[in-house]
Amino acid sequence: MTLKGGATSACAACKYQRRKCIPECLLAPYFPADQTKVFQNAHKLFGVSNIVKILRSLDPSQHAEAMRSIKYQANVRDRFPVYGCLGVIRQLYYQIQMLEEEMHTVLTQLEMYRQHHHHQQQQHQHQHQISSMADDVISQLELGMAPSNNALPLFNQVTHQPYTMQNTYSSSDIDSPPKDNVENNSLWIQHLFLDTNNHGTSNNDSPIAIQSQLLVPNSEPLADTQHQVVQDYDEIHPFFDSIDDRQSYIDTKDAEDSSRAKCSSEESLKETTQLMVGNVGSKDLKNAAACFSLTSVN
Amino acid sequence: MASSSHSSNFPCAACKFLRRKCMPDCVFAPYFPPEEPQKFINVHKIFGASNVSKLINEVAPHQREDAVNSLAYEAEARLKDPVYGCVGAISILQRQVLRLQRELDAIHADLIRYATATCNCNEMPPPMGRTCFHHNTSGNIYYPNPHWNEPYEGNGRSDGGSL
Repeated sequence: MTLKGGATSACAACKYQRRKCIPECLLAPYFPADQTKVFQNAHKLFGVSNIVKILRSLDPSQHAEAMRSIKYQANVRDRFPVYGCLGVIRQLYYQIQMLEEEMHTVLTQLEMYRQHHHHQQQQHQHQHQISSMADDVISQLELGMAPSNNALPLFNQVTHQPYTMQNTYSSSDIDSPPKDNVENNSLWIQHLFLDTNNHGTSNNDSPIAIQSQLLVPNSEPLADTQHQVVQDYDEIHPFFDSIDDRQSYIDTKDAEDSSRAKCSSEESLKETTQLMVGNVGSKDLKNAAACFSLTSVN
Repeated sequence: MASSSHSSNFPCAACKFLRRKCMPDCVFAPYFPPEEPQKFINVHKIFGASNVSKLINEVAPHQREDAVNSLAYEAEARLKDPVYGCVGAISILQRQVLRLQRELDAIHADLIRYATATCNCNEMPPPMGRTCFHHNTSGNIYYPNPHWNEPYEGNGRSDGGSL
């Protein structure tokens, strides 16, 4: 049925069907006259009667959404005649599967990085802990205090303890003590006992051995590996022997020998006290002096 | 499932429903066996027998079975959901794809952050290429690829979409 002149243009559905497009046309709002291809696709798949049947089974508020899905489905079927929307669904399933696999891979990789990062943080914390404890021990040594027992195992754990005496004492240094006794002695002890910045071979006996030699008189000679240290240590080693060998001073019957030893030991004591940490505790000096007071009696 | 042999004593589901004689050259017989009557009923209710017949004849013979099965799927979906039909499933899946893509982007960002923090010299694998989906929403439904709301203007018909 042809349209009369001057009448409102029919919708694509009515135009295709060549009928009068009435105002109550259900399809008119969804198939404007300029979208003929869209209607042809929908008509080809569903048919006008089936579309109208679907719309009539729904609430008017749902018509717009229903028509949109119908047009979408029809256009997809026109694009993909064999699989239609089922092909789109399968494609989406495949994409989801690929994304999940990728996510699993990336999560695994991320977990590796997190563990590595966590391990690095633990190492840094451990090193920081060691250095802080070492600083505490050094400060205690500077004050002439024996380090705590729990610090000794810490030194044992520090495997890389280089014994390069960067600030070694030569014979001339003994006679001419440094201007700043405290600072130089602390440096000496610091380099002697601990060097946290450098990483060298493990010297298990060196920190404890030297430490014990300085603080505990009756110590064994240093190992050959600390040749440089031993070489420098010999300069003051006799002084320690003279200071610590109380029995020999007490038991000796030869006064001259004892006086000689006393003088030499006094001199050496003075020198060593100058060389040693300036802040040697008074207790140590008293102990050292006690030896000479005893010898002086004899 | 297409029946390998057709017997005139046993009409196909289509001819049985339409109450007509099932001819040997029945177009529906290979794809609507009498054991599956609901399949043709659904397809007929949504699309109509004539439309299905035209669609079957327009595709290649080796693709007809897939075409009929897809129509049966869409018909069943439309019966279950008269408003959205199978497009509702597409919307749900598309939202899931977008969500996974966002999560993957976030995880990639974390991965790059950790790789940078640990000074890993290995190059990070680039994220997998993804299809760019349009965020075209209408109400609660998501329509992937809004171009499909428009008629296809290709020169020739596609072979039924890639899977």
